[in-house]
Amino acid sequence: MNRIVIGRYIPGNSFLYRMDPRTKLIAMILLMVGVFLIQSFLHMFVALALVTLILVFGRLSVKRVYLGLRPLVFLLMFTFLFQVLFNRQGELLYSLALHYTILNLSLAFMVVLLWGFTKRFIRFRLLYFLGAVVGIFALLHSISFGVVLGEGTFAVYEQGLSTAFFIMVRLIIIITLSTILTITTKPTDLNLGLESILRPLRVLRINAEEIAMIIAISLRYIPTLLEEANKIMLAQASRGVDFQEGKLKDKVIQVVSLLVPMFIISFQRSDDLANAMEARSFVPGQERTRLHILRWSKLDTVALACTSLALAGVVLLRVVGW
Amino acid sequence: MAIKFERVSFQYRGVDDKGYLALADINLSIAAQGEFITLIGETGSGKSTLAQHMNALLAPTEGRVHIFGVKLTSDKKKNRKQRLNPIRQRVGLVFQFPEYQLFEETVLKDIIFGPKNFGVPHEEALERAKKMIQIVGLDESYLERSPFNLSGGEKKRVSIAGILAMEPEILILDEPTSGLDPMGRNALLKVFYDIHEKLGKTVMIITHDMDTVYEYAKRVLVLREGALVYDGEPPGLFSRKHVEDWNLELPEILRIQRALEERFGIRLEKNPTSRKELIEALGEVVM
Repeated sequence: MNRIVIGRYIPGNSFLYRMDPRTKLIAMILLMVGVFLIQSFLHMFVALALVTLILVFGRLSVKRVYLGLRPLVFLLMFTFLFQVLFNRQGELLYSLALHYTILNLSLAFMVVLLWGFTKRFIRFRLLYFLGAVVGIFALLHSISFGVVLGEGTFAVYEQGLSTAFFIMVRLIIIITLSTILTITTKPTDLNLGLESILRPLRVLRINAEEIAMIIAISLRYIPTLLEEANKIMLAQASRGVDFQEGKLKDKVIQVVSLLVPMFIISFQRSDDLANAMEARSFVPGQERTRLHILRWSKLDTVALACTSLALAGVVLLRVVGW
Repeated sequence: MAIKFERVSFQYRGVDDKGYLALADINLSIAAQGEFITLIGETGSGKSTLAQHMNALLAPTEGRVHIFGVKLTSDKKKNRKQRLNPIRQRVGLVFQFPEYQLFEETVLKDIIFGPKNFGVPHEEALERAKKMIQIVGLDESYLERSPFNLSGGEKKRVSIAGILAMEPEILILDEPTSGLDPMGRNALLKVFYDIHEKLGKTVMIITHDMDTVYEYAKRVLVLREGALVYDGEPPGLFSRKHVEDWNLELPEILRIQRALEERFGIRLEKNPTSRKELIEALGEVVM
């Protein structure tokens, strides 16, 4: 659990921590929009470098953010492969003839099985997976004798490759930006900032305070409910539920024996909480005083100016068409 | 010995790898039959953690726990190789607030859930359910009701019946009487005592109620900040020194007995542990 970096606040004291949560939220959105407008490789690399600079100057460990990206490696790889394989526009860069014969299809199947069984013993799983994929392609290409079921080609096109690159770098930048936000901002501050930003929506009869309250309460109750779930799991385990093993039918009962009590507990908790809030004179929609008040500083103005400039620059580049 | 703790320590892992020591160097053994034990200690002293070690829900981070021949150590891989589920049938653990573990449509289904998990045939499980629902002081009409429409006390009884129906050899109860009215509390304690007396089983109760300790227990364990500081008979526990050092509350009967001695100079022949015995002893003196 401790390795998950996304969504976790890590105490520190760089300029990123001193910024107002509102600034950070707005800056993040501006930068994200900017990243989507970029269209050339060079500019993309510049953007990546800028984000890395923010990390360095904000004294956040690059390694830590990289670790946060790790759970998403699979998603990134998937989008990359998907684009490369199925986007067939632009110039043809590379093609490989594939033969589907009974022999090599069954060999490929065996490679998949072998990979499935041995992957848990290998340290560099990603590399191992790539090796397996390359191996399958090599198999399909080189063995062409026997009963041939069909022919195909593996082709890489220019457009496919560049789209894949853009999507991947954009995703990396977006995730890094949001990780910066959550690492440097306490959930409560983030919530306060969100509430403050959403306040103008009152014109549309959307109550930002309520939304913020809902978010705050859900964040607050995640650990509590996890703890309750753990208790119930132990209680059911002592009634002979083996959460580690069991057939499919047993699994269903295991889940039900956990979920039903969890539902009941959540409803009870929310009922209790509602009563406790009312007992302290909480009235939805009513004006409230605050313990923490957000303060706008010079730093925020500078930060916002910089990000606005960056966005303006990107827009300009796009309009001019460099 | 059915359960044996050898130099057991347990540390909860914190967020920053700063652990919280819940149990510290505990040595303890509990027989499979004939014991009636109460476990007391302040909140956070490790009582529930200790109880969870006794049916292999937790494994020690140091030392060894033997439960019916199964050895648990800090080696997780070795622990996992052993079959722990049978232990949980032999050592029944009733959690604090057991009413939260109910999930079936009817009380009957919930009671037979445990036994059936341990491979008891359906027919026999039904019979046990009928027997146990009466033992915990409810009648058979409850079996067809939904467990969610019961009162708090009734839910508690139903969930205790669910553990009893597993027919464990050792029964451990984590504050089974909290939230019950005095009548219900006494009735339930009587049930546990009967299980101990008539079936000869070992029963361990975690409690804050010194009257329970004094009246029923043959052996009392005291935990303070994770360490086992007392393991012996209840009368020895309530010596002046212990009461002061550990901030204990005196049981009602003992308070009356001491007051009688101090104010009226009445010395009772033997130490009564229940109201009935007190009245009898007082009767002998007065007569």
